[in-house]
Amino acid sequence: MAGRGTNGRHGLRGQARRTAALALLVHEECTQLLELYRNSESLPSSPVDGSYLVSIPPLVPQLSDAEKISLLHAALKECLRLLEDVITRQDADFSDEEDSEYRRKRKTVRDRLGHLLASTGQLLVDGQKFEAKVKEELDGQAASGSFGLKMWVVRVLQDLVHWTGQTSDTLRSLPAEMDKAPKTMSRRTRRGAGKIRK
Amino acid sequence: MQGWVTLALLLSLGVKRSLGQNGLGELPVPRGLSLNPDLPAQTLSLTWQSDSSLFDLEIFHTELMNVVLNETLAVKADPITGLHSWIWHSPFPLECTSHSVRIRARNQQTLSQWSPLQTIPGSDIPEKSESYMFPQDKMVTVGSNMSFCCIVKEKQDFKEIMYRGQEMSATRLSRRTYAITVINLPASANTGTNVVCCSRLLTLTGAVVFVGYPPGDEGLVCETRDLASAECSWKKGRDTHLRIKRSRTKYTLNGRICRECLEGKTWCNSKVWEDNWTLVARNPLGTVQLTDSARLADRVHLLAPANVTAVEVKAWSATLQWSWSVAAYKKLEMVCQLQLFAHELSSTRNYSGPGLSSVVLEGLWPDVDYTVTLRCGAKHGFWKWGDESALYRIHTKMDRPDAPDVWIWMDSSNTGHVFWKPLSVRKSHGALDRYEVSQSSAEEDWGTPVFLPPGNFSYPIILNSSSDITVAVAARNPAGLSQPSTVTTPAYRADSQLSVSELLSTNGSFDLSWEPNANASKGYVVEWVPTCCTRLCSVDWKKVPESDSSFTVKSESLVAGERYTVSVYALSTGAPTLLQRWQGYSQEMIPSQPVSELSANQTGSVVLLSWKATEMKHQRGFIRGYTVYLANAAHLELIANISDPEVRSYRVKGLSLSLYKFVVKAYTSAGEDAGSTVAIKMEMDTADMLFIGILVPLGIMFCCLILISICCYKKREWVKKAFYPEIPGPKVPGDWSSPQGPLDVKPPPHSLVHIVESPEWDFTKEGLFPVPEEEEEAEDDNNEVDTDSDEPALLRYYNQVVGDGSHSNQVLDSSGSSTASVGSTQTEITYAGIQSPTSSQGACGGGGYRPQMQSGAGPAEPQNEFEADFQDDGLNTGYKPQCSWQLDSPEAENFSGSLGSPTSVTSSQFLIPESSEDKPQPSNTWFHNFLSGKS
Repeated sequence: MAGRGTNGRHGLRGQARRTAALALLVHEECTQLLELYRNSESLPSSPVDGSYLVSIPPLVPQLSDAEKISLLHAALKECLRLLEDVITRQDADFSDEEDSEYRRKRKTVRDRLGHLLASTGQLLVDGQKFEAKVKEELDGQAASGSFGLKMWVVRVLQDLVHWTGQTSDTLRSLPAEMDKAPKTMSRRTRRGAGKIRK
Repeated sequence: MQGWVTLALLLSLGVKRSLGQNGLGELPVPRGLSLNPDLPAQTLSLTWQSDSSLFDLEIFHTELMNVVLNETLAVKADPITGLHSWIWHSPFPLECTSHSVRIRARNQQTLSQWSPLQTIPGSDIPEKSESYMFPQDKMVTVGSNMSFCCIVKEKQDFKEIMYRGQEMSATRLSRRTYAITVINLPASANTGTNVVCCSRLLTLTGAVVFVGYPPGDEGLVCETRDLASAECSWKKGRDTHLRIKRSRTKYTLNGRICRECLEGKTWCNSKVWEDNWTLVARNPLGTVQLTDSARLADRVHLLAPANVTAVEVKAWSATLQWSWSVAAYKKLEMVCQLQLFAHELSSTRNYSGPGLSSVVLEGLWPDVDYTVTLRCGAKHGFWKWGDESALYRIHTKMDRPDAPDVWIWMDSSNTGHVFWKPLSVRKSHGALDRYEVSQSSAEEDWGTPVFLPPGNFSYPIILNSSSDITVAVAARNPAGLSQPSTVTTPAYRADSQLSVSELLSTNGSFDLSWEPNANASKGYVVEWVPTCCTRLCSVDWKKVPESDSSFTVKSESLVAGERYTVSVYALSTGAPTLLQRWQGYSQEMIPSQPVSELSANQTGSVVLLSWKATEMKHQRGFIRGYTVYLANAAHLELIANISDPEVRSYRVKGLSLSLYKFVVKAYTSAGEDAGSTVAIKMEMDTADMLFIGILVPLGIMFCCLILISICCYKKREWVKKAFYPEIPGPKVPGDWSSPQGPLDVKPPPHSLVHIVESPEWDFTKEGLFPVPEEEEEAEDDNNEVDTDSDEPALLRYYNQVVGDGSHSNQVLDSSGSSTASVGSTQTEITYAGIQSPTSSQGACGGGGYRPQMQSGAGPAEPQNEFEADFQDDGLNTGYKPQCSWQLDSPEAENFSGSLGSPTSVTSSQFLIPESSEDKPQPSNTWFHNFLSGKS
């Protein structure tokens, strides 16, 4: 609601558009980042076995837009945390790696993902926030050695691509209903919070 | 005996064999076979108990029962434990699949039963349903061979194993296990080399292998900077390619972990000096150990002097001071090296002393910027120079300039220039303010000096009297005036007054030598000036001490292709005395311009080429001669080489009438110039023209006339007969003499025959008609008769003219003849009042002669017509010919032979008939007769 108070109805709609555009940009950059990593490591383009690390309830049509945004916001938050973990692990294990394009792009994605997270946060109603589930598979992957770590990095990047894409798609389909968001948002948020929140 | 022994052995062997085959005395099966795998090492340790020492061993991949090893081993039992042990190195990681082992004892040809299979499970057992790859994170050296296996997740398909992104050929080890072998592994990238196992849809699993090198560090050296602690450094060797943290090289110095090395440094500190040092560098692929031994005094590496300053700066010296940051240095016997940089030149000076902290720099130059840097080292047991101090700048003070180098060059007997050389920085000792020039002579003492700006280096002088002038030149800068340099005017000597020698250069330089002169108390001056220079010449000179009598003018001060006049003067208290003079080129070149005023003059068949020499300034070398070429279409043909340069003309002889181009080139020792060209067209002389144009034709005409005359003389009879035949008297029967000559009838002016054309003339009537002398004229065109002539025409009247052959032919045709007669002019002749001929048919009748009317038949009147005339004679009432034409001969040709023979005016019959001897010739062959000599 904080966003609404200052921006008003038209301001919220504009904010949604900007957030959608930013989500699209981050999605494209995440895609490029995944591609860069696969190329630098000579990894095949086929997806890594296993489901997404970050999970949220399905974005079914019954959910309001505000709820969808809240869920996606939670997923993006976990994605950013995972990306920072990736950076930490990679720098710790391969600190001698020179300044590569992958590293520059990684930093850009991290920064813009932070902006996207803040931007979606401004669309949240009443400060209600969900929390996404994360499969903490890093330790299990790490047990299988350096390759496990690399696969985990790929999975994190796959998640980034997926959830930024989801956010972009969802935000771009929102504007028509943004006006109704306040009522439904508060009601459904409270109702669904018990189920989703950890 | 030997045969029995052999037989006994064979029998015993046969018995033993039969015992074995029968199971009697069978070897016991090895007992207690145990397997102990070392997974990282990919080894399987086997232990068993047995009394035998020879065993057969078989190892299988359990699932497919593929034999991996089938070998006979000789393994002795451990004397303490009594166990046999053997280690098998597996080509694949033991986790890849389950391995089963069995063993049996062997004694010669006797075998025991196989032991029960012992199996170690792999990771492809059903209890482990996930995907795996082995080995993981293995570190190997570059060039190794490695095998990897992929265990596919249950219910997943297998597609490929990729190494560095490339698909490898895989071997199936079990239901879920596939393996590849990679040989000669290359060095890994930063994060290792990936081996990936894929299904058709997913990336199943993978492994990373780190391929690199063991440490390659070398060259451990320890030294002290503070005379107490140690600092050891070394060179990093080749890149190990092991970037992952746990595989990085770790260092220990004398057993202590090197902390600096953790940050990637290649040096390590120790607080205490030890005489022996050992550095151990270790990574997962190997270890290297470096050692160094030295006493502290031998490894002193001083720090840089600090706070360098110049405490006292003078024109020619300065005092430099500095301090040390380490107190212990103050007692160290050290040597310091000071480097001075000035004008891109540097010099090094060494100073020594205990705890050196100041030096006096001598031998500096005034007004010069110096940059100083300093470094020091231990004097005893010198190890290396310490660190250099920061650059320090010193500017020395100014001092009075040195006296300039002065010379006088006389360009005439009473004018000249005083020259002095610019003072270099080393000699000016500061920026010059001006030059001061003063002069004195016998009549006048030193006058007021002339001040010239520092950019002037010459001053003109004029000798007003016969006495010499002495000129003094001094330079002034802010520090004062230099000592004056004096020079006295030498006597002017033109080149023409001297015997100037030709001077040859050596590698572009002039090597001069001269006879020592006793008067050269102050030495000599060698002066060289461009010879062609007239004003503001670049005079150069060099003063030579009196002990020398030779000098080399360097090529740097000479210009190639320029002629120089080099003079040597003896210097004494008075005026310089000229000793010798040369002229020469430092380097001869081809003339820059060709010879001038090249001309060519023809005299008959000779061409005289003349030219003028190239100007000296364009010669660029001594002219050695000239070459003369005849220019053809494509090349020059050398026709003369004139080696005497004074000869400037050449005669080219024997030329025919044509156009010639001549090229004349002057040449020096460097070659020929471009050449001058002259063209000349050879023409005949006037006399020749006269001779050929006038005299020759005249001569030819004269010769022709003579020839004609001779011929005419020789053929005079024929000529006479042909052109002036004697007219015989008419031959008449009887005695009828007649005067000789033709019977020309010239009608008197008062009795002209008037011939009137009358178209109605009856052609049957005979009449007179004029017959021209020339048959052709009469035949072709009667109008050609000159009707305008005032002279009465000389008429010869024939009543018939004998025609040529054609007419003879016509004669044969009587009808034709008749027609021709009709066609011919019908002439009516009247004998009154004829003034002049008016027509071709008109003919002047003879004076007083009145011809009878006669048929007007033409000159070609045929014979038959004459016969007809006879027949028609009865019709005629007029004139009757004196002698009618009688055909003397049946041959008509006979008539033509009488052409030109006089005929009777009244008869067509020739008056002089041809005799048998003088057979008439055809009228058209008279010229032929003339040539053939017939008369």
